[in-house]
Parts: sequence; structure tokens; C-alpha cells
Amino acid sequence: MKRFIFAFIAAFIFIFLWGWFYNGVLLKDVFAEAQSLFRPRKEMMSLFHWIVIGQAGLALAFVMIYASGFAGGGIAAGVRLGIMLEILAVGARCAIYATQPFPAKLLVLISIGGFIEMIVTGVIVGAIYRPAVARTS
Amino acid sequence: MKPFGPDGIQQEPQPKEIMDWKKFFIAFVAAFGFLFLFGFLWYGMLMHGAHQEVPTLLRTKPDFPWLILGHIVMAFFLTMLCARFVPAGGAAGCAKLGILVALIYAGADLITFAVQPLTTKILCGWIAGDLIQFAIAGAIIGVIYKSSSPATH
Repeated sequence: MKRFIFAFIAAFIFIFLWGWFYNGVLLKDVFAEAQSLFRPRKEMMSLFHWIVIGQAGLALAFVMIYASGFAGGGIAAGVRLGIMLEILAVGARCAIYATQPFPAKLLVLISIGGFIEMIVTGVIVGAIYRPAVARTS
Repeated sequence: MKPFGPDGIQQEPQPKEIMDWKKFFIAFVAAFGFLFLFGFLWYGMLMHGAHQEVPTLLRTKPDFPWLILGHIVMAFFLTMLCARFVPAGGAAGCAKLGILVALIYAGADLITFAVQPLTTKILCGWIAGDLIQFAIAGAIIGVIYKSSSPATH
């Protein structure tokens, strides 16, 4: 349980910092090109807690999936899980692209950031979460 | 699949399994069919009115090739996750995995709500839709893939 909580906190901190750095700093200008699809900055900041809750939920779900089926596989298993989950997310982004007028460039860049985010999250969770009892037979 | 939860106890390791690609393909096609149909009914029909409240966020007509491709990718990798994670198959185990996958989507929905001018009605509809569609899709995959998987317990 202790390792589960540590893994969750570490994953959440990374997802939060990466989200801020990648989307808020690196992609700032790209997002600005599609400003009409987003809330004004002031309104966005008033809803900032939803971003934090969403990222915490994402980190928690990641660790729960890892703990329920991948634990014991270490970092490699965490990376595998991260890649599979991100490919699922890319599928959802294709559906978003089909229904919302997002520029393709923005969704491609978000997906690249998503792969980095999920792979590093997998490394973090795989390195921290270890099952207490590993039965081998 | 052992019960979910952060109990710190590792489940018995799953032996290396040879994937039954025929059953995998059938499960994938069934999952794709369900996801696409559910998406059409839930997001396209039931939530049509809610989506009309934010017309600037939506295309006038969906771009179907991308919509189909997206659902193919989601169905394929959900089937892959179930086959790898829950090799014993079974509706319950795969439905639980589907719900956990839906929670990841729900997290993304909350973030989207914070940055895009969506209504709370749309947010709630998306989250409920994610949970229902991935739980049922997982159960479908679990039922189809189960019969061919060698027993692991």
C-alpha cells in the first residue's frame, strides 16, 4: 500500500509538471493558434482545480492498472503499459479530430507529448511499485 | 485476474501465453462494432442536444475516415490490453480493466473541461459514456477471448 501511494504521488507530480511544461510552455504558441477552441486564460485558471483532479485521476488509474496486472514486471512492464494506454488515447484523439475542428498539427504534438508522458510515468511507476509478496509458483 | 486494489500483494505470475489470434480478431471486431455503435447512439444521438450548445467546438459533419480509424485503434488496443492483462479472460475481469481504462479517459475529460468551453452536461455525459462503453466493451472481449485462453489458475 505504501509503495502504491508513493508510486501514485510520484506519477501525479510528474504528470502535473510535464503537463505544465509541455502544454503550457513548449506548445503555448501552437495552442494560441487555435484560441477559439479554448476558454480565455482567466476562465481556465478559475477551473484549474479540474486539471489537477483530472491529472490525479489519470495517475491513480495508471497505478491501479499496473498494480492489478503488470506489477512484478518492473520498468519494462510500466513502459509497455504506458505505450499501450497512449495508443488508446491516440485512437480517441483521431475521433476528436473527426468531430472537432482541431488543427492536425496540434493533435500530433499533443500525442508526441502524451507518449513521452506515459512512457516516463511507466518508468516511474515500474521503478517504485513493487509487490510485497511475489509468489513464483 | 485477482482482485484489484493496492493491497501490495502480487498475483500469481501469468505464464507466457500464445495468443489465439483468431479469437483475438473476433474479439477485436466485436469490440469495434460495439464501440462504434455505442458512440453513435450515445455521443451522436443522445448527446446531440448537449453538443449543439457548443456548436463552434464541433465540425458540421464528422470526418468519418478518422472516426472509424480512431475506433479501430481503441478497439484493437483494448483487446490487446485485455488479452495481455487478463489472459484467463472472463467478462468480469475484462470489464474491470475496461472501467480502469475509462477512468484514464475520465481524467482527460476533466482536463478538457477546464481548458475548453464545454458545459457540465457534456462533461458528465462524456464521463458516463466512457465508463459504460469501456466496461461493456471489456466484458464483450472477455467473453469472446475467454473460451480459447489456456487456464492460468
